[in-house]
Amino acid sequence: MADVDREPGFRFVPTSGGPVGRLAVEQYGALAFMRFRVFANSFRTGAGAFEFGARAISFVIYTFMGVGLGIGAGAAAYALVARNHLHALAIEFWVLCFLWQAISIVLASFVEQFDLSSLLRFPVNFASFFLLHLVFGIFDVSTLAGMLACIGIFVGSVMARPDLGGSIFLSLAAFAVFNILLVRAIFAWLDRWLAKRRSREIVSAIFLFAMLSLQLLNPVLHDSDRGGVRHARHGFAQGADAGRIAPWLKELGSVQVWLPPGLAAASIEASEHRQEPAEETALLSVMGLYALAAAAMLGIRLRAEYRGENLGEAPGRAEIAKQNDTWLLAGRGPVSAEIEKELHVLFRSMTQLYAVCVPPVMVVIIASLFRNGSNFMQRSFHMALPICVAYGLLGFTQLIYNNLGAEGKGIQLVFLFPVRLRTILLAKNLLHGCLYLLTAFFSGAMTALRLGLPEPAIVAVTVAWLAFALPANLAAGNVLSVMMAYRVNLGRIGRQTGSQANALLSMLIQTAILGAGAGVISLCAVFGNLLLAVPILLGLTLVSVTGWLLVLRNADEMANGQRDTLIARLAKAD
Amino acid sequence: MIEDELAILAQMDTAAIHTHGLTRRFGELMAVEDVTLRVVQGQFFGFLGPNGAGKSTTIKMLTGLLEPSAGTIEILGRSFSATALDLKRDIGVVPEGMALLGRLTASEYLRFVGRMYGLDRETVNRRTEELLEFMQLANERRKMITDFSHGMQKKLALAAAVIHGPKVLFLDEPFEGVDAVAAGMLKSMLQGMIQRGSTIFLTTHVLEIVERLCSHVAIIHQGRLVANGSIEDLRAGVASSLPGAETSQRLTLEEIFLAIVGASGGEPVQELSWLT
Repeated sequence: MADVDREPGFRFVPTSGGPVGRLAVEQYGALAFMRFRVFANSFRTGAGAFEFGARAISFVIYTFMGVGLGIGAGAAAYALVARNHLHALAIEFWVLCFLWQAISIVLASFVEQFDLSSLLRFPVNFASFFLLHLVFGIFDVSTLAGMLACIGIFVGSVMARPDLGGSIFLSLAAFAVFNILLVRAIFAWLDRWLAKRRSREIVSAIFLFAMLSLQLLNPVLHDSDRGGVRHARHGFAQGADAGRIAPWLKELGSVQVWLPPGLAAASIEASEHRQEPAEETALLSVMGLYALAAAAMLGIRLRAEYRGENLGEAPGRAEIAKQNDTWLLAGRGPVSAEIEKELHVLFRSMTQLYAVCVPPVMVVIIASLFRNGSNFMQRSFHMALPICVAYGLLGFTQLIYNNLGAEGKGIQLVFLFPVRLRTILLAKNLLHGCLYLLTAFFSGAMTALRLGLPEPAIVAVTVAWLAFALPANLAAGNVLSVMMAYRVNLGRIGRQTGSQANALLSMLIQTAILGAGAGVISLCAVFGNLLLAVPILLGLTLVSVTGWLLVLRNADEMANGQRDTLIARLAKAD
Repeated sequence: MIEDELAILAQMDTAAIHTHGLTRRFGELMAVEDVTLRVVQGQFFGFLGPNGAGKSTTIKMLTGLLEPSAGTIEILGRSFSATALDLKRDIGVVPEGMALLGRLTASEYLRFVGRMYGLDRETVNRRTEELLEFMQLANERRKMITDFSHGMQKKLALAAAVIHGPKVLFLDEPFEGVDAVAAGMLKSMLQGMIQRGSTIFLTTHVLEIVERLCSHVAIIHQGRLVANGSIEDLRAGVASSLPGAETSQRLTLEEIFLAIVGASGGEPVQELSWLT
């Protein structure tokens, strides 16, 4: 047998040594170098430099948000610890735990994540693979924000009770480790479940059922005696609600103390009683067990991936039986064909459904803030409808502002078909517009269900704002979709290759559209004539519709100028 | 009969594809330089070249996926550009990467493509069924394309390229990953299209297929067209430049290709000492 290692003096780096062995260290170095080169090479193109600029701005924004969260968490911790309400720290830990997981999922579609499974063709040992997952996880936006919040809580608590510093540090460290492991495990399992079509169908069904339940929960919990009550008259029996919910909260309290956020708070509380160090140790040990369980969940998933499981798209059920496919839409034109295709894709994309459906669900919670929230929110009660509707539409950002992103390699068809791009964009816009209006109606209905029927004047103003906002969003969305498209993998929640430039600009444009509406409505309200906002917003609608039509008219020219870039960006392999 | 023959002769004289000075630069890189080609109607045309020679870039320009830096393109006697929509109805393409939509099923995809070419509902449905049967994908009609194997995806891409009955078909590596049975079936389908007067522009690295199917061949090397003509013409040309002209009749297309692009008999130029 031939000796492969024939070159004099040549030796492979030994594969032994686990995650800190020589080979592993070499690989970490190679990976770091690769990431640096990818970063440096991105400056070779104008788009890359622009993308870097957008990332830098996003970094500053995220940093401010993270630091803000940290300061807020610290102030809350200080207030609670100083007043000796250590048990109430559990609320803060629960909120933080929820945000830690939720932010990462919400941002998954927008933040670029390196797919570590591409490393498996190299002799990477499992421990290194696992470690790399954790290291990359630490640089997630949610984890960085969570860590800043933990630091804030630590600083706030220690300022109030310096004597508890050691215990607080240990509890927070265990809590942070648990959350880092949990968020990675959730991502790993979600990607696996959603890779199977059958699972996707089940998850989608559960998701929709949960949403429906959430919507029904509120009317069921609350009385039905508010029919016909206007926003302006919103008094109702809060005390009765509190009385009904109190036993539930008590039950929840006894359960939550055995879950990680509750345990973290309980261990800090136990440390106050110096005579019972055993209790503190026991609670921290249980926290450690939770962290180990999260690590095991992650480990099981990563082990399967490490052994070569294909995460790209697990085969669906073989359906041999012939079925006559029917068309969803009549009509032979390209518009109906494109709309039908978009509908097929949308209903098979958990990520897109999730993005569109979650904000209207959250409207229920946002609407509650106008009744039970801060004074400012309660003072803005009359504006609840437009604010809630605008919030409910946030999920359209990716769909509208990157409407070619899901085409993938099919983007080439756009240039091969005997159809103008403007026709294809028009079809997408029609579908997205209909969904947008449906969502707006749904959000409005949820707001009305929660807060009572709104005044006719505010309904008119909201409709006028929608008439302005929809074409404005579609126009801007078409431009960004052509000029800054990025590939969307519809089968995955994580590991997307997003575009910070697109995300940042879409956020700025949406802020401007919201700002314009808010400005006009506020000014008219200040002058005591809210209805005056309607003609003004309709005037703006003329401008936005004209802009949308102009964008459509020039779409082909714009796309032909971007053809190479578009195809290169979207047709690249997963 | 004479009228038919005259019609066929007239058709033969019309260029299905005609490029003049076709050039594409990517910054400093000259990917395709001054390519002038004429492919007559009804021809099975092989477009060959080593990796990175400019084959895919040329095919992208010919199908409107890439704008030429210079030069002109005529398809079926009419000037072609990305905005020549009527002309696009006469063209079918299996592009590099296949341009499939992974989230659709095979039948949904074919119906979508048919409708985008403006076929009526009955035609689209009928052709979809026929193509799925022909490509042996009928049992997989409910599977999403992303679940297909590479070979199945190739067959589907080819089905989509012909659903509207194009007069000119551009195929970029259509047989890559396709099993022998399916490849044989596809070849007979393509030959049937040629017999009915279609023109096929094929790029592939499998020279045996080109030798068996194509009547004319062009070879591109480092962005420049270095050979163009019938296989017999190329064989004669290469033979005349080689010693031992008596063996020229037995030159395979692979030998012709290697002689033209400058490699020496397929042997690695330099051995890698550390590779067994």
